[in-house]
Amino acid sequence: MLRNVKDYHYPGSLDEALSLDNRESRSFFIAGGTALALSDSSRPVELIDVSRLGLNDLELDRENGNLKIGASTRIQRVVESGAARSVLGGFLSESLEEIGSYPIRNAGTLGGSLVRPFPWSDIIPILSVLETEVFYYHEGNEKTRELSRLYESDFRSTLNSSIIEGVSISLPEEGNTAAKFMKFSRSEFDVASLNLACRLTVEGGYISKAKLSIGARPMTGERIPALEDNLVGKKLTEELAKKSGKEAGESAELRGDEKLGQEYREQLVKKMTEEAITEIMKEVANES
Amino acid sequence: MKVEFELNGKEQKFDVKPGEVLLDLLRDNGCKSVKRGCETGDCGACMVLVNGRAMTSCTLFAAQVDGKEIRTVEGMEDNLTDQLKQFMLEAGAVQCGFCTPGVLISAYSLLTHNKNPSEEEIKAALDGNLCRCTGYVKQIDAIKETADSIGGSSDGKK
Ligand SMILES: Cc1cc2nc3c(=O)[nH]c(=O)nc-3n(C[C@H](O)[C@H](O)[C@H](O)COP(=O)(O)OP(=O)(O)OC[C@H]3O[C@@H](n4cnc5c(N)ncnc54)[C@H](O)[C@@H]3O)c2cc1C
Ligand code: FES
Ligand code: FES
Repeated sequence: MLRNVKDYHYPGSLDEALSLDNRESRSFFIAGGTALALSDSSRPVELIDVSRLGLNDLELDRENGNLKIGASTRIQRVVESGAARSVLGGFLSESLEEIGSYPIRNAGTLGGSLVRPFPWSDIIPILSVLETEVFYYHEGNEKTRELSRLYESDFRSTLNSSIIEGVSISLPEEGNTAAKFMKFSRSEFDVASLNLACRLTVEGGYISKAKLSIGARPMTGERIPALEDNLVGKKLTEELAKKSGKEAGESAELRGDEKLGQEYREQLVKKMTEEAITEIMKEVANES
Repeated sequence: MKVEFELNGKEQKFDVKPGEVLLDLLRDNGCKSVKRGCETGDCGACMVLVNGRAMTSCTLFAAQVDGKEIRTVEGMEDNLTDQLKQFMLEAGAVQCGFCTPGVLISAYSLLTHNKNPSEEEIKAALDGNLCRCTGYVKQIDAIKETADSIGGSSDGKK
């Protein structure tokens, strides 16, 4: 917990929130507070509550082909929403349900998961394989950035002085696109020791689009472009799934930590990639 | 700073420190059903209902619940709570009792949003509650019995 909170603010507008954040004192925006609760610090800090800024809409815009989710929307609300359930045969809601426990999902928000994500965050790989744009408010302007570019080092300071307003997820064409999320943890209660999300679009048996993201490596989730490129244009077969598993184990940057050794992680990546691709293959075959 | 929220059906004003944790505020104000366990959101002993949704009070600052409705086991006096308590006792779902208020809150939250939960849904609703004594089987049985009694069938058929 933050043990030295000096002040707590309830700004009524994005500009007021940013100007409170721009002052000399050390401050954090707070949404659900679950990540801040895990931080252990006695340095003086002020908290700026973003939950009254109206950033909690959840809207399926079929005309423009996207699902918009406000930053302050609770994760469990997304899990339960019919709109989220309609994304890729339930991929979004089912994989978000893997996060923490029911009370944590009731409190935690989508926006709160994006700015300083835990390295074991499940949300990052999940959103990375969807086409996700992040909306943020910076120096009086509304801006957007692709999720996979959010953590580029030259953007860090911009991100740290912005308010995330929400995300927009492109609705993929159903039928020939499927996705899978997999999580390996030491127990039902523990956070991921490795997580992986994969999404493939298949046309006439051949892969036309591929996205694979691996998290808790133990570093934060990252896409594996070399493997994605290799998948495109290939016929989707069990053999390809096996070969891709091997490639993923070799090309993902993996390390060991107190939870898992590097070799164990490599074997897991192999197995999980193979399994994810095989399951997608079955799903696509069933739907076509 | 002042925060104002409805605690167990009564509008109340509190003078709190900006960093005061909801768990501490509730316990200091007589809600001893709210237990102090891990204090990191893992065990569920400190669970309360915030606007009808189960949340861990150790991960919430008191200032976050300004304007909201908070309910603890002390303020749960309706038929659903009575049934839950009765079936928990009958099933032998209470041993040392430390986790029991948190389990009641999770079960209450589940059954108010879903009168007919499947076993999987009951397990998912309890995934934030650690119980070191019962092995969960009796608690799951008690929730099924309560669902049956309040009109659902706990077979998960909607
Ligand atoms: C017990 C426990 C178990 C967990 N298990 C998992 C798990 O299995 N998988 C997983 O992926 N995650 C897990 N988490 C992490 C959880 O998902 C995050 O803590 C949560 O999503 C963060 O959201 P929040 O609203 O509570 O963020 P907060 O704690 O309010 O904020 C988090 C950070 O985001 C900043 N912030 C918040 N909102 C905004 C905004 N709109 N704009 C800019 N900055 C903002 C804050 O300043 C802070 O730095 C777990 C957490 C706990 C406590
Ligand atoms: S004391 Fe709050 S979850 Fe354990
Ligand atoms: S009854 Fe003892 S911890 Fe659950």
